Amino acid sequence: MNAARKNQESINEVYLKADVIRLTVPAQHKFLNVVGTCIRALITNESNVSDRDTLIYNIELAVHEACANIVEHAYAGLSGRIEVAFTLVEEPRRFIVELGDNGRSFDLSTVSAPDLTKPQTGGYGLFLVHQLMDKVDYYPEPGNNHWRLVKQY
Amino acid sequence: MELKLRSANNVQILELAGRFDTYTAGEVRQWIEEAAAKEPANIVVNLQGVDFVDSTALATLVQGVKNCRQLNGDLRLCGVQQSVRMVFELTRLDRFFEVYSQETEAVKAFAN
Repeated sequence: MNAARKNQESINEVYLKADVIRLTVPAQHKFLNVVGTCIRALITNESNVSDRDTLIYNIELAVHEACANIVEHAYAGLSGRIEVAFTLVEEPRRFIVELGDNGRSFDLSTVSAPDLTKPQTGGYGLFLVHQLMDKVDYYPEPGNNHWRLVKQY
Repeated sequence: MELKLRSANNVQILELAGRFDTYTAGEVRQWIEEAAAKEPANIVVNLQGVDFVDSTALATLVQGVKNCRQLNGDLRLCGVQQSVRMVFELTRLDRFFEVYSQETEAVKAFAN
């Protein structure tokens, strides 16, 4: 069994045990609050969470910024949808958000961080995604891009 | 998002409530652009009722400050909730904006 397949089976096993919520939203700014509302509801269900409000805000803002990026850059004015999956995993406790789009890909490594010594009128979005989450992966594939954001709590 | 407008002591006050994000920022941007074009360009944005701020909202406020300062005025903030304050700190914009807890303090500070 090759390593990639073994890894995929291991991921599948985790997902079968975990609680997964899926939703699909039109790639428009006006619907992004629906994604945030779902995050808030899921974290509110969790017991023994310290500083719950900050955790909710951190995840909600990071996911919002990633979705806004999909609307503005992957679809760039074209209609499309964002596939969202939330997974709650135990040991260590983490909240995993996966986002899928059928738009244009981009090279995440070419996005430079904003100069924090001067106020900017743009460029904070992806910076916030990285700051607010513990792990951010982007798998570009034209017509089938995939984000994976992980927050431990 | 809700917008309430008023003025006091030659300061224009914009009170916001709800979600200040990419979807709602256009209306705020338009109001700030108009208010910042008139001298004295002194604006207070009251964020007491705002529970969510994103990168577009930050950019809108930064542009507002720049516009006001070009006319020797300023755009100041008040009533920033703890969770929203965290976003200003992460981006280090807390060092750029003058932030007050109360609206009256922010308005009064323009007289100094």
